Amino acid sequence: MRTNYLRIVAAAAAISVAGALTACSGTPAKKALGADVSVGAMKDFKADTTFKATEPVDFSILYSDMNTYPIKKDWLLWQKITELTNVTLDPTVVPFSDYAQKRSLLIGAGDAPLIIPKTYPGQESAYVSSGAILPVSDYVDLMPNYQKKIKDWGMEKEIDGLRQADGKYYVLPGLHQELWPDYTLVIRTDVFEKDGIKVPGTWDEFKTALEKLKTANPTSKYPFSDRFQGGATLTASSPSFDSAMGSGLFHIADGTRFDSKADKFVYAAATPQYKTMLTYFHSLVAGGLMDPESFTQPDAQAVQQFTTGQSFVISANSQNIVDYRKTMDSTLGAGKYAIKKITLPGGPAGNLIAGSRLENGVMINAQAAKNKNFVAMMQFVDWLYYSDAGQEFAKWGVQGTTYNKDASGVRKLVPSVNYNGLNPAGTKDLRVDFGFSGGVFAYGGTTDLLQSMMSSEEIEFQKAMKSKTPEALAPPAPLSDAVREQYTLLATPLQDSVDQATLQFILGQRDLSQFDAFVTELKGKGMTTYTDMKNKAYQDFKKK
Amino acid sequence: MKDSTGYKVFRVFNVVALLAIVFVTFYPFLNMVAQSFSSEGNISAGKVNLVPRGFNLETYRVVMGDSMFWTNYKNTIIYTVVGTAISMVFTTAFAYAISKRHLKGRNLFIGIAVFTMFFAGGIIPNYVLITTLGMKNTLWAIVLPNAISVFNLLIMKSFFENMPAELEEAAAIDGLNTYGILFRIVLPLSKAVLATMILFYAVMNWNAWFGAFLYLDKSELFPVTIYLRNLIAGASAAGGVGGVSENATQIASNIKSVTMVLSVLPILAVYPFVQKYFVSGVMLGAVKQ
Amino acid sequence: MADRRAAAGQLDNLVATSDEVARSAAWVSKWGKSSKQANGTGKGVKPARQTWSGALRKNWRLYSLLALPTLYFIVFRYLPMAGNVIAFRKFRPGGSIFGEYWVGFQYIDMFIHDPAFWNVFKNTITLGVLTLVFSFPMPIIFALLLNELRAKKFKKIVQSISYLPHFMSVVIVAGMIFQLTSLQGTVNQLIGHFGGGAISFMQQAAWFRPVYVSSDVWQTMGWGAILYLAALTTIDENLYEAARIDGANRRQQTWHITLPGIAPMIMTLLVLNIGSFMAVGFEKILLLYNPLTYPTADVISTYLYRVGIVSNNFSYATAIGLFESVIGLALVMSANAISRRLVGTSLW
Repeated sequence: MRTNYLRIVAAAAAISVAGALTACSGTPAKKALGADVSVGAMKDFKADTTFKATEPVDFSILYSDMNTYPIKKDWLLWQKITELTNVTLDPTVVPFSDYAQKRSLLIGAGDAPLIIPKTYPGQESAYVSSGAILPVSDYVDLMPNYQKKIKDWGMEKEIDGLRQADGKYYVLPGLHQELWPDYTLVIRTDVFEKDGIKVPGTWDEFKTALEKLKTANPTSKYPFSDRFQGGATLTASSPSFDSAMGSGLFHIADGTRFDSKADKFVYAAATPQYKTMLTYFHSLVAGGLMDPESFTQPDAQAVQQFTTGQSFVISANSQNIVDYRKTMDSTLGAGKYAIKKITLPGGPAGNLIAGSRLENGVMINAQAAKNKNFVAMMQFVDWLYYSDAGQEFAKWGVQGTTYNKDASGVRKLVPSVNYNGLNPAGTKDLRVDFGFSGGVFAYGGTTDLLQSMMSSEEIEFQKAMKSKTPEALAPPAPLSDAVREQYTLLATPLQDSVDQATLQFILGQRDLSQFDAFVTELKGKGMTTYTDMKNKAYQDFKKK
Repeated sequence: MKDSTGYKVFRVFNVVALLAIVFVTFYPFLNMVAQSFSSEGNISAGKVNLVPRGFNLETYRVVMGDSMFWTNYKNTIIYTVVGTAISMVFTTAFAYAISKRHLKGRNLFIGIAVFTMFFAGGIIPNYVLITTLGMKNTLWAIVLPNAISVFNLLIMKSFFENMPAELEEAAAIDGLNTYGILFRIVLPLSKAVLATMILFYAVMNWNAWFGAFLYLDKSELFPVTIYLRNLIAGASAAGGVGGVSENATQIASNIKSVTMVLSVLPILAVYPFVQKYFVSGVMLGAVKQ
Repeated sequence: MADRRAAAGQLDNLVATSDEVARSAAWVSKWGKSSKQANGTGKGVKPARQTWSGALRKNWRLYSLLALPTLYFIVFRYLPMAGNVIAFRKFRPGGSIFGEYWVGFQYIDMFIHDPAFWNVFKNTITLGVLTLVFSFPMPIIFALLLNELRAKKFKKIVQSISYLPHFMSVVIVAGMIFQLTSLQGTVNQLIGHFGGGAISFMQQAAWFRPVYVSSDVWQTMGWGAILYLAALTTIDENLYEAARIDGANRRQQTWHITLPGIAPMIMTLLVLNIGSFMAVGFEKILLLYNPLTYPTADVISTYLYRVGIVSNNFSYATAIGLFESVIGLALVMSANAISRRLVGTSLW
């Protein structure tokens, strides 16, 4: 039950050496892996072939159970997986509400299932040093679909960003063909029209728009009362100010930002660009344009103001706007209002947005490497999560039973099956009754696949956002185990100071002229040591 | 003897103060109940006060129409009954024994109990223990780990200590042994504290979810608290890739209040039976010595 | 002696009839005396020092009652404690649950030298003390007020309603608090009526403590009174009758009969609460606080939570946990000793 770290390292070393010795002809290096881990594996598993184990195998998997579609043993999803691939999945059920904690407990206690999905890139770092998680980068030659996507979509740099100090990476991320920005601002287009305000394209125009809204609507206290504690707006807007930001739910990983000109990492909150951003938002609050409680109020309060017409701008993702419409049909009356997502305004640094094409993915338990069906398992994961056919299956289900595809490739759900309002007359639900399109298996994929279930409004928004430039990725700077402990302990007090000062500056509790004093405070809390550690790791990794 | 005017004034003030307390505690509760029966639009507009607006049973229907809800509810009842029974047996036995000041080693046993109030193992050691004992996914993982609440134990011990020794000594003279004294004299006299402890343990078990979360991984074994907690988390999840069911906004608007009503109803139903043990008092004086 | 025979005389009834009311009357007629006396240590000489085998033979039934519960404590409470050793060893998630190798006091040093830790420690103590000072007496006062009610039905209704807040989840309570204190909420509307300016309560560190403590009082008053009400039922009505005849007014009766009657319960709960006062409500604070209120709202558990998300450092958390445990234990032992000396009641 206890993983022997040294044995894993030795085994991995042996395999990579053996792999290097095998002629690389595109065939997976499983030849170098012993027959003792290849039971059930396909001999010539290639990209875009359906995986089928040569004999029935079963794998344990951690399953995050959402109440909106509670797990059912008789789902077509499970049956079909077994039918197509000869694999039976044995789910360890964890309620969605506490998934991360249970996962942490199971790994910590050495009792985790073989396949651990729903792991965001970055979350696997804590488990690296114990050897509890497989360094999957050593085994990607077992995964032709995964490799193909990385190559076709040019994602090598993003994958590099996942590497740890030992040069390997430990999570198989979900892959998006294109960046998929989700959080933006939603406005009352009918009110904008009524008051003759044009949709803002830059943050300055946004401020003007709010001013006009305020004068034209004196009964509304604040035209802009935000939800997500202001975090979504600050995070989404920060690249356009050439900065990085987050608070609460939207924290930017470790507060550092890569300065490509100086070729080093700096602490984002200590830069002049950050001050510019703070100055801007402070002007919104000081001018009575943005509700100061945006940064502390629970979402329900912010949403209430918007849906009852007291405010006219709010943050949203693609699902929120659907919810707003539902509520506003009853609070304001259908047809009496109009709302729309706008593309994020540009800022002093231009039309930049942040985001990653990587999303939550799969960790593999290190013990799997000793399992006799190991190779088969990797091939299975590869097919299900990274092949076009596997992803389509996970999302849409079975052609003929749950959906149909016409000649041009457009998919449509079968009339009796509903999902997310696509077939309101349907009696069954794609997720609830069949298990497809669930969060555990269906999330990455081609743009075509992702957009296949989006509303036309959402697709239009995505197209409009293409005009924005994704900001450059930071280079990898992985920390060694010894450094990591100190680094992470410094992180929290620094971040706390930043969070506090950010709100104080924006709300006017602290004057912006004090910004330099704030930077000095950060230095006093170890900011220089912090960035030095990161830069050293960056340089060390570059040398590799 | 008549009450002084000062006391009369006090009594008026007392009633006023208690009415204020009733208002402050009842109003939010009624508000929540009203919300649980109201439509989403009205809740969002803030129009719901004491009476439901836009009477809507959708959330109740969704929750109570789910067979898993009832399975989990049944589980909670089983866990609560078994857990409370085991807790009461262990706690009462231990409390009675250590309430005897003459018992050798008494302080040692008290120390054993009190120490655990402050020191405990982390979740990983506990998890490993339960797994090693083979109790994962069983009833025992739920009812055993927290069987004794030292808080309750010490209160019970206090009660037992304050019972007059003469009664027990007299009983001993009459030939009853320890067990006899316990069952036929002490326990019947301790109804007030026993009722209170049963209530406390029952409520503790009823609301418990952490143990189930740690030691169970099959959804048909979960107690209803996990079911509801998951529902709340799912309703307020920040959206994302997947869409949601048709009535998601309705559910999101009042799932918390519906949860509260469903969780508190059984307690409300059982409470009157327990209450008679500690609101009366006048009855005691009815029989003169 | 006469009492004893009276009690013995009652015994026939006791065993034969099960009339608990009569038994209670006999029992509580002892009530006005100090608990020490009632406990029977006053009776008879303290037995000469027993040997273990002697004690076991004599009281084997009592020890039998202790057997299963003690086994429970050992298996389910003491065995897992061994895991706390990771406070002194390096722990790797997925490695041995007892850690990899000894690091001595490294983690203890870490938090001792962390100024952030002492800030949150100070906050924890402050919130804990404030909660104790305000939330502890309220249920007692409430129980006493209820006790003065003559109308039984009204009393029952008030008592049943008063505990409802205990059953509202922290999520609901937090939502209510935000609503009440928002700029357009009830409290600010009231302030507006009296001509004051709106206060953004949840964004000011100074207001966090009053908000937290008052919501705690509101939630615990009714439920906390239950124990006291149970204790009140054990006070014999005859004592009040006798006092009335002697000419005592209600206030004197309360002072000389009621309060001493529930004094043991009060002291027990006080000592227990002192021991656990550092366990301030983690989930509630997490929902109510924000960076602006960190200076007063951030407590040890919330700080560890944020640190844990980033670092996943079980050893550090365990070290701090041990620190808190030691403090709690020390406090309870002192409180208990003081209680024994001052009032005569103690937990042990």
